[in-house]
Amino acid sequence: MESIDLTREKEREEETGAPEGGAKKRRKKFSQDDTIFYYAVLAWPILQFIVFYVLTRVNAVLYSFQTYDVLTNTVTWTFSHVENAFRLMTSELEYTSMMGATLKFFVLTVGIGTPLGLLFAYYVSKKMFASGAFRVLLFLPSIISAIVMATIYQFFVERALPEIVYQIFNVRIKGLMENPDTRFGTLVFYNIWVGFGVNVLMYTNAMSGISSEVIESARLDGATGIREFWFISLPLIYPTVTTFLITSFATLFTNQFNIYSFYGGSVPAGIGTFGYYLFNATEQASSRAEYSIISAIGLLLTCIALPLTLFVRWLLNKFDPTEDGAQ
Amino acid sequence: MKSFFKKIFARKSDRLARRFGPFTVILLVFLIVYAVSLVAPLLWAFLTASKLNDDFRSNILGLPDPFAWNYTYVFERFYIVLTKPGIGTYRVTVLRMFLNTILYALGCTLTNSITLCATAYCCAKFKRKLSSILYTTVLVTMILPVVGSMPAEVQMAKTLGIYDHIWGLWIMKANFTGMYFLVFHAGFRGIPTTYSEAAKIDGANNFYIFVKIMLPLIKTLFFTICLVSFISFWNDYQVPLLYMPSYPTIARGVYEMASTSDNELATIPMRMASTMLVFLPIFAVFLVFHKRLMGELTLGGIKG
Repeated sequence: MESIDLTREKEREEETGAPEGGAKKRRKKFSQDDTIFYYAVLAWPILQFIVFYVLTRVNAVLYSFQTYDVLTNTVTWTFSHVENAFRLMTSELEYTSMMGATLKFFVLTVGIGTPLGLLFAYYVSKKMFASGAFRVLLFLPSIISAIVMATIYQFFVERALPEIVYQIFNVRIKGLMENPDTRFGTLVFYNIWVGFGVNVLMYTNAMSGISSEVIESARLDGATGIREFWFISLPLIYPTVTTFLITSFATLFTNQFNIYSFYGGSVPAGIGTFGYYLFNATEQASSRAEYSIISAIGLLLTCIALPLTLFVRWLLNKFDPTEDGAQ
Repeated sequence: MKSFFKKIFARKSDRLARRFGPFTVILLVFLIVYAVSLVAPLLWAFLTASKLNDDFRSNILGLPDPFAWNYTYVFERFYIVLTKPGIGTYRVTVLRMFLNTILYALGCTLTNSITLCATAYCCAKFKRKLSSILYTTVLVTMILPVVGSMPAEVQMAKTLGIYDHIWGLWIMKANFTGMYFLVFHAGFRGIPTTYSEAAKIDGANNFYIFVKIMLPLIKTLFFTICLVSFISFWNDYQVPLLYMPSYPTIARGVYEMASTSDNELATIPMRMASTMLVFLPIFAVFLVFHKRLMGELTLGGIKG
């Protein structure tokens, strides 16, 4: 705004050959109005951010090094929580299996869900048979509450699916969540199944924005189907894909993979993820004294997730197929 | 004449073959399987919600026989028992849960959307150093994984005296970080500066320009983001569980119903009826606004 006003004044000066009498004064007035408005609007967001983002994250780090005495209401500084958290995460079966489950869930849901979502988005963006209906259906899980979806899915795979199998094949099978052999796979399928929503919508909207001339000229060169998807659509929506991939890595240890919605406070062994653990432990904590170990585990997980996310970001930017990325 | 039809048919089948190559046919099959697997559980839940428990035991997949209106039973009989210091033990009914949900979802939607919109406007239209700092902050917070800050957030809410209040969450949600900041920012960047310049020449101040000129120009986008936020707050049960335990929402009610001591309410038809109470109102909103909900949002990259 300020630069526009300055340019106008310069133009006016050039036209008249001399500075206008009230120009300086008016410019100053506008600038003051801008400044008051600008800082008045931004005061709350900045304050909110400092209190609820910056301070809470600083406190989370501090809690990792504090022991809080509930009776005396005093804090003592210690390194023992971090040591304890490190020991738990490296040698306790419960925590090492949590790490395993988190990574397995992540690799499978992102590794299968992202390519599948991109392919679905490609189909929908081409406006082929029933693409409008598929677009709505792919988005549908994201408007349904996680607890509602999980409850319906749980009872469906436990009661309805065995009955469907019995009626078609005359074979009795166990409920998929009840059976320990199928439980993990069923949960992975669920996470992929409900995870398309916003991602596919953004991919579809981005693919629909690709110039029809680009598509046409690619078609004239013989690129249809999978070649068009791979060589045209995917590179042109690469920034959108990388955005979702990077944010997926950033939420690796906070993503519960819907475990809490299925199991509440008591999860079967080998299923719990760190995202689940952190939420459940915070929810169950009865006093501030219990926050130290949760924060210490969180701190160690941050030490893994931060470099990993930055590395993935660097890697994705390095292999950016668009012109911008190559520069 | 015969050759004319032959030509047309050949051209059409060629176009169809080009459109429906093996690749797109495989995708279509996958999408049909997905659509069936999505609709089937929802339809099953809807039908089960209208069954008597005895009917459900012998008729898991079929239509309700007789048709039972379980919603009234859930509405009247289900409640959550809570204990609060100073008040003691009290019951929260389904009606109260709906009221809490509306207050929570509406309040958070408004505070969040207004904060996002106003901050994005300033960053997009005022080229100052702080604007680019805030823009970068949003990008950084999206990719900066800080794990385990939840206890500190709860403690902060307790320290500030906003813990366990619906309005407390209105304040906590009035932030500018997140993907929708970028959507608003792109929206404001797309509006030419000529509008505000003309208004300024006519003597309008910045507040007037923002409220009377800029907001109407992005009202569709604003409404869309409000709608998306409202749906996500309506559906949310974990944040209310953690930050306002004394004000359960209807989604939390579905969660709590898993541990109900009432045998009648613990049946699968009743559980399905409770899920429908949360799902159906939002589904109705979605049916009305789905085009707007799914058409407005696009996102570029987060480079830089």
